[in-house]
Formats: sequence, C-alpha cells, structure tokens
Amino acid sequence: MSASRAEVVAYPETVENALAEICGLLKGPYRISPRAVGLLLLQDDAEIQNLVREREGLPVYQRITGVVKRCKETLHEPIDYAVVTARQKRIGAIIAAAVTETAPASATFADRLSRLMMNPWTGIPLLLLVLYFGLYKFVGGFGAGTVVDFLESAVFDAHIIPWVNNLVDAHVPWASVRELLAHEYGVITLGLRYAIAIVLPLVGTFFFAFAIIEDTGYLPRLAMLIDRVFKKIGLSGRAVIPMTLGFGCDTMATLVSRILETRRERIIATLLLALAIPCSAQLGVIMALLAGRPAAVLMWAGVVALVFMLVGWLAAQILPDQRPIFYMEVPPLRAPRLTNVMIKTYTRMRLYFVEILPLFILASVLIWLGQITGLFTALVNALEPVVQIIGLPKEAAVAFLFGFFRRDYGAAGLYDLHTAGRFDGVQLLVAATTLTLFVPCIAQFIVALKERGAKIAFAMFFFVLIFAFGVGYILNAALRSLGVTL
Amino acid sequence: MRCDFCGAVFDETEAQQACTGCPLAGACRKLKCPRCGYEVLPEPNWVKAVKFWGGKILAGRKSTART
Repeated sequence: MSASRAEVVAYPETVENALAEICGLLKGPYRISPRAVGLLLLQDDAEIQNLVREREGLPVYQRITGVVKRCKETLHEPIDYAVVTARQKRIGAIIAAAVTETAPASATFADRLSRLMMNPWTGIPLLLLVLYFGLYKFVGGFGAGTVVDFLESAVFDAHIIPWVNNLVDAHVPWASVRELLAHEYGVITLGLRYAIAIVLPLVGTFFFAFAIIEDTGYLPRLAMLIDRVFKKIGLSGRAVIPMTLGFGCDTMATLVSRILETRRERIIATLLLALAIPCSAQLGVIMALLAGRPAAVLMWAGVVALVFMLVGWLAAQILPDQRPIFYMEVPPLRAPRLTNVMIKTYTRMRLYFVEILPLFILASVLIWLGQITGLFTALVNALEPVVQIIGLPKEAAVAFLFGFFRRDYGAAGLYDLHTAGRFDGVQLLVAATTLTLFVPCIAQFIVALKERGAKIAFAMFFFVLIFAFGVGYILNAALRSLGVTL
Repeated sequence: MRCDFCGAVFDETEAQQACTGCPLAGACRKLKCPRCGYEVLPEPNWVKAVKFWGGKILAGRKSTART
C-alpha cells in the first residue's frame, strides 16, 4: 500500500521546500524513499552523507549540501527539533483519532510534583531546598561535622597516628623511611588518614544524598528545568548528564561529554567541568570547610555559579554558533527505595575507595620523594607568594600543590589547615572558591588532552589556572576592602 | 537494568555497545545507558546472589505454605 500525502508527516514549509529540492537531485538507487534520504541529509546523518556522495557524485552532493545549508539558515529553529516536533504533532493527531478516553485521569501527587519541579518559578526553590538539605545539612553538617570529626579526632588523632608514630620511631632506624611511613607527610599518617578519615565519609554522605536524588527520577526534571539557562551558555539540557556526573568525578564526566551533539558543546562542557564543577570529595570538603557559615556557603555558591554562567556565556559567544537542541521523555517520579539507595552508595564508595587509596598513597610517596630531593620545598616556595597574593597563609601552598595531583587531595589538605585554625572566615571562602575553580587534576587533564586535543587542553589548563587565582584575588580584595567578616 | 536518568531499560550487552570508543571501556566498571549516555552502577555480585537465593527461599516458602 503506498502512503498517501495525508499519511506522511507535514514538516514546516522551509523543510518541505528543501526536501522537494533534494528529492529532485537524487537519482541513485536507495533502499529507502528519496524523502527519507532527504530528511536524513537535512539532519546531518554522516552515514547517509557518505552514501549520497558516493552514489550521486561530488557536484550533486555539493548542490545538496547547499540546499541543507540554506534550509538551516532560513529555519528559525534547529532542523532536528523541527522534524521531531512535526512527527510528535502527527503522532498526537493519530492517537487523538484512534483513542477515546472515557474519563480524564486526575493528576496524582507525583504528577503535580513533577510539574512543579520543571516549572522555573517552583523548580528553582525546590532545587535550592534539595541543595540545602542534601548538600549543606547532610554532607556538610552530618558528614563533616559528625562522621569526619569522630574518625579524625576519636580514631586517627587519638589512637592510630600516635601508635603509628611511636611504632615507627621505635623500630625504624632510618629517618627518611620514618618520614615515608609516619609523621607529617607519611603514607599512613597523611595518605591513609586523608582517604579514610576525611574524604571517604564526605563522599559517602554525598553519594547517599545523590543516590536518593537519582532514584526519585529528579535528574531528568532538573535537565528540563535548566535547559533554558544552559542554552544561554551554548549548552542544552542534555549537558546536565556530564555536569551531574562531574559532581561525582570530573574525569569521568569529561569522557561523558562526548554524548553532547556538537563540538562546541563538548568544548564548553569540558571547560566548565574543569573550572566550576567540584568533584564529590572536593564538594564534601568544601561543605566541611564552610560548615556553620551559611553566609560563606551562599557567597561561595554565588561566585561559582556566576563564574559558571559568565565563562559559559563568553565561551558561547567566542565559539562558532551551532545551536544545541534537547528533548527527552521524562520518566515517572517515584519514591526512592532504601535498598537501591544503599546498594548505589555502597558500590560508588567501593569504586571510589579502590581508586583513590593507591593514588593517595602514591601522592604521599611522591611528596616524600619531593622532600628528599628538595623539589617539594622548591615548588611550595614558588607557590607561596601566589597564595599570599590572594590573602591566604603561606602554608596553603602545600594544599594547592596537592590539588595539582588530585583535587580531593588538595581539598583535604585545606581541611587539615582549617582544623588547625589557620584560616579566618574570609580566607576560608577565598580558599574554597579558588580551589573549586583551580586546575583539574592530572587524570582529568589527560582525558581532556585525549578528548579535546593538546591545543584546547593546554589553553584550558592555563586559562583555569590564571582565572582561579584571579577570582581568588578579586574576592579577597573585595571582601577585605568592604570589611566583610564571615 | 534501568537508567537512573532517562528511565530506559537495557541489559549489560547493550550497555557495552554504548561504551564503544571510550578509552576506559571495561575498566571503569560502570555501565553506560545506550539511550542517553548516563553512567549506571552495576549491581555487585553479592547483591545479585542475595537476590537470587533470597528469591528462591521466598518462593520455596510460598509453595510450602500453599501445600
């Protein structure tokens, strides 16, 4: 049975005209209709482009690409979007003609809540509530305030560290090996303590809160909510996926950014991940640093959000325009299941711990080697004036040096200084903000190098490095000159 | 297995296809949704075992109660 005109989807006039022109140019044999081939060409399907180039020859193919280009320029929305919405309209019409609803189904609580989550007027306050209770109260308050305090003070400081130090001092005759295992930068007293007493409880509480958010189906609603905002910075709601995963691990999120449709989106997402998305451990430590100082948390979030939007917007202006599109079917909202949440938290913590423990130990060994060779002291000395320029005590240079190796390691270093009482409120805010914006860790840099190329990866690295300290400097100068105390 | 982001239901074979081209494919131990690209955590083996044996025991009890 041949499809009559009434049965096919009617696309916008510009698309139909382009389709007619392309169909007139296509002469070669295809397994699908010329109209279907034309639609795929209009949607930049790489496979069909190659096939048409091969079957029709280069001159005809170039005329077709000219038609596609003109269509894109004339149409006020992306072709993909126009095609999908026209198809949805047709599907809606077919369903309306074929299905009879006996009684309108009343909206359930979940339906109403789902709509509220996606409406900007109600969705943003709901998002702030999620962040306040999920991050600030649970991770910053419970994770940092209760669990870390207990593990650090009652377990490590009171028992493990003195015992290790005494044991090593009593049985190891070589001073350099004693330094490797214990004391200030030892594998056990620093690497293991950072991993178990500081980072793990913080990421654990973060993963628990995140698993609840995931299990409810809130993430796709968040994507729909911020799609409009993301469009301003050259991204679409789809970018919520790498951005959200970035709160887990920026390195993995940089890899995931390949799901974004355009090269421009991928570059912007990689830059924003490197600059303004703190990873889980970093976020946990920052919440711990700023716990009990709500004004500082608000300012930190405000500055990071401003940087995210400003840099994203500037990047979108600089990079050539390829408008992103985003549409998705939103799955139903559901109550989280405790077993799901516990299993996800456990799995994430296990994967994370297996990954970080060797790295933290390696970092301690590298620091030990650096101390023996004098390289560590030289690098710290070189960084000291920079951290002093942004108003931080010179000891913070060590934390930033750690941050080069791994962001969470650096954040844990800052937490150490904070517990030693080395920061006032303004310094805490400046340190947290600068470290959030600070250069990505080595792993993320390597992935960016592979995914985006050396030129872009190095340009991003130096931009982020200068920008982070620049923002730290401005923030410190502004707060000091205004006499703000936090 | 259900994607935590888009709700798509898929099995591990489909997830492996979605990892094509990734330098960490097979090493990161996560599964990628073939529809949206979101990373889904695999169920640990001990959880699968608990579910399997738990299901068997429950099913056995139900059939005993019926008879």
